[in-house]
Amino acid sequence: MTRKTRRLWLVIACVACLGTAAALILRAFSSDIVFFVTPSQVVASPPPKDRTVKLGGMVVAGSVHRERKGETPVATFNVTDGQAAVTVHYEGILPDLFREGQSVVAIGTVQPPHDFAATEVLAKHDETYMPKEVAEALKKAGKWDPRFGPPPSAESWNQMTVQDARKNTATQPATN
Amino acid sequence: MSASPTFVARTGNFFHRYANPGQFLKLGARLQPWLTWPAILLTLTGLGWGLFFSPADWQQGDSVRIMYVHVPAAILASAGYAGLAICGLLSLVWRHPLADLAAVEIGPVGASITALCLATGSLWGKPMWGTWWVWDARLTSVLVLFFLYLGHIALIRAFDDPQRGYKAAAILALAGAVDLPIIKFSVQWWNTLHQPDSITLTGAPTMSSSMLWPLALSALGMGLGFAAIVVARTRAAVMESRIRALLSSPRRRGNAA
Amino acid sequence: MTHLPYIAASYGLFAIMALVFSIGAALRLKRDRIRLATLEQKAPRKAGAAPQS
Repeated sequence: MTRKTRRLWLVIACVACLGTAAALILRAFSSDIVFFVTPSQVVASPPPKDRTVKLGGMVVAGSVHRERKGETPVATFNVTDGQAAVTVHYEGILPDLFREGQSVVAIGTVQPPHDFAATEVLAKHDETYMPKEVAEALKKAGKWDPRFGPPPSAESWNQMTVQDARKNTATQPATN
Repeated sequence: MSASPTFVARTGNFFHRYANPGQFLKLGARLQPWLTWPAILLTLTGLGWGLFFSPADWQQGDSVRIMYVHVPAAILASAGYAGLAICGLLSLVWRHPLADLAAVEIGPVGASITALCLATGSLWGKPMWGTWWVWDARLTSVLVLFFLYLGHIALIRAFDDPQRGYKAAAILALAGAVDLPIIKFSVQWWNTLHQPDSITLTGAPTMSSSMLWPLALSALGMGLGFAAIVVARTRAAVMESRIRALLSSPRRRGNAA
Repeated sequence: MTHLPYIAASYGLFAIMALVFSIGAALRLKRDRIRLATLEQKAPRKAGAAPQS
């Protein structure tokens, strides 16, 4: 039985060592594990012009301008993290989920001081899942505007059924 | 330390009494229908509900229905590896023969469900994010989990003496378990393209209950299905080892006599 | 519903995987049960003994 106990302690010690090692490695590399940098980081210390960075943030409401350069659509929009904003220029088709207020990750290079030339734009959706009708009802009730931020606390809507939402939108004709 | 030998001895007795291979065959045969049929029923209900009756998401539209396959697959990928790690512990400390047989059988099932998680994630990411794959912390740590499964599958079958394979694979399973908390917390510790968890222990789920119900049913159903397949495969493995024992010792002795 | 192919592919992959694993496990159990039964008929005194791996 002592041999079994010794084996148990040996296993526990090995797992503990390994866990500590992994934690230390991850801590050391955590800046590289980060998938994107924020606009305030870019503004505070702009990376070199030739280095590809991933810029993550929210598309500022009212800042999106879409044009066409020949066949390719060109979009210009501001990306913010609440503290600083960077103007992103992108030639190409934006993802379906792209909209004002959406979180996006733009991959490209920084053009100091506040511009960013993107070669690729990814939409980052949040962890909120709600039916279209519920979102409509929240918008109609004036509780949420998706262009300006995340939805209200989940308790206030996660029990709302599609039927409830339809009823709410029907009884409150366009308040905004 | 003084109390631990009795603890280890007692737990050892417990495992040997309730999980020796002969006992397991009886228990497994009785348990099997209670896993299989609810699994089929709940999975079909959950996925049918998710595919046809749950509402479309306000921003993702119908693509959100991929969630009802992807999320249970992701949960099971981690849970399966946790099972592998527990088998590894039982094998290394208590030398439990059933734990080794179960580890051999969990590996391929777990690897496949991890592959399903990665594939459905890709199929979800392309229309929503605009990319099949990114090297963010969540996606990469799940890919690491997939390779850990593959390593385990290869290692446990790599030796002529199965005992050595069992030991090496058990060590790999325990060491690889470090990846599980990394997967779980990757979306909180680092910025990722992958969104954070909608269902947490601390707050209300940021998911409409009309989507949460089908998700819960399919997760429960697929979980039971995973267990049913692992139990069935382990029962088969116990029978096979018994067949090998019968073929090798008494017959040969009988032929020689 | 432009994303239908992605949804169909996800559910299809799951269905294929579930079928392959469950049918595989069922066939393996059936085969082993038959083989074990015939072997134990030939050597009844060893029946019920714990397997030695």
